[in-house]
Amino acid sequence: MLVTNLEIVPGKRIQKHYGLVQGSSVRAKHVGRDIMAGLKNVFGGELKGYTELLQESRQEATDRMIEQARAVGANAVLNVRFSTSSVTAGAAELFAYGTAVILE
Amino acid sequence: MDYSNPQIPEGINVSKTHPLSEFALLTVGVFGAITIIVLILGFFADKLAHYIPYKYESRITINYDFETYDNSPLQQYIQSLANRIAAAEQLPEEMRISVSVVESDTVNAFASLGGKIVFFTGLLEKIPNENALAMVMAHEIAHIKHRHPIRSLGRGVVVGLFVTLFSSAIGNDIVSNSMGNVSFISQLKFSRNNEEEADTTALDALQQIYGHINGAEDLFKILKEQESIHQIPEFFSTHPYTDGRIRHIESMKQNVGDKEALLTELPQQYNSWMNPSESNMNVNADL
Amino acid sequence: MLELITLIVLLALGYGFGRVAELRHYRSIQSREAQYRNLPAIATKFPDPSLRPRETNLVTGNVVISVDYFKRFLSQLRNIVGGRVKAYETLLDRARREAILRMKEDAHSQGASLIFNVKLETSSIYKGKGRAIGSVEVLAYGTAFMD
Repeated sequence: MLVTNLEIVPGKRIQKHYGLVQGSSVRAKHVGRDIMAGLKNVFGGELKGYTELLQESRQEATDRMIEQARAVGANAVLNVRFSTSSVTAGAAELFAYGTAVILE
Repeated sequence: MDYSNPQIPEGINVSKTHPLSEFALLTVGVFGAITIIVLILGFFADKLAHYIPYKYESRITINYDFETYDNSPLQQYIQSLANRIAAAEQLPEEMRISVSVVESDTVNAFASLGGKIVFFTGLLEKIPNENALAMVMAHEIAHIKHRHPIRSLGRGVVVGLFVTLFSSAIGNDIVSNSMGNVSFISQLKFSRNNEEEADTTALDALQQIYGHINGAEDLFKILKEQESIHQIPEFFSTHPYTDGRIRHIESMKQNVGDKEALLTELPQQYNSWMNPSESNMNVNADL
Repeated sequence: MLELITLIVLLALGYGFGRVAELRHYRSIQSREAQYRNLPAIATKFPDPSLRPRETNLVTGNVVISVDYFKRFLSQLRNIVGGRVKAYETLLDRARREAILRMKEDAHSQGASLIFNVKLETSSIYKGKGRAIGSVEVLAYGTAFMD
């Protein structure tokens, strides 16, 4: 599966559009990470636990988007966008969406 | 087309001000402004509280859930002392002093709204002579005379309102906490002034009753003994330094009274009043 | 009294550690930026039509950075008087550049020579107690061209 955030793929022609495909993942951090984050809030610096957590859940959102694209029979997802929104305190939704297409 | 990646100079998106200088400017500015506002509000609340008629004040009754020695000989003795001092301090007719003695280890006494004065036995046990007791009493009555309880209540309400409104408006944790503390510390200035005012009035009253102010410093020696455990800076304290208060008395002694004058003893039964036997307790209950 | 001491200790710790961490981070950012000097990240979504990459792929980089206690205190004070919140400028600058660097690392590991349509997304993380938002996540993503 080809995934890109461009609207074209150089040298390839889009044969068919399947419309929007999307993937989402809502994750909360566990208490241990909160405690570490509390410490970091004093000293400052990177919250590695959070970075990894968001990376993993974003990967999951992307994977789900790809799964949708595969299910409709596409072989590429174009113009992919990510969006993050906090649902409640301590939980975030990671969202990925794009256009499923068939490339030549 | 040529795609390149030049180096962008540092510091375009970042201000060059040193964080510490910004910190100094902001803390001094914000907390200075809060202090000034609290002092101004406190000043006006203090002045206005003076105009609340005393009869309204007497209606605000605070029920202290204490075990008291009501109508015991001890309480009667202290009440009679209070009446003498109230006369010496020329309290208005409507200000009636009622003294309660409370069983507690606390070495303290306080004056409250409506002319109520509470003595803890912890303090009474340590009193060496009547002059020291009269000093406490005269000090507390002076608080009532100058209407310090209602004034501090008025200040507390006005400043508290300001702090609450302001904190909820800014809605962040660290600063609103610090703001509460800053306003609390600024208010202490009023409290210390009140204590000094009460001390001065009290010493005048002692001079009138006994003709000297000897023994007044004994009270502060007791207080100093209590303090020695943890001394906090005057700036953070509701009361002026005890040392300063003792010096105040010493300097007043230079001007007034007979330095050699004898102290007035406490009544002979004073100590036995403090630890009533079982039978006495029964008598009290009957009374 | 005790509260004041705690506050001063926290501020001093925040200032000391935060400053050291920031200087070290900037040094690391600058050296890695030099290392990826020949990997341009372009914000346009129309690559030159003459480019014929062997392969294209989505590359991402993200980072969550928290501000220290000292700067949080500064920003809260600044909140009252208004104006430029200088304390957070370095936080966001560092986070964005770090995220771009991580995206470039991702691209470099796949043998890319160009990244197109770079997008940056910033979101605040720590919205728990006290509404004090002191951490940001920056995500950088784009399409890497491999040739």
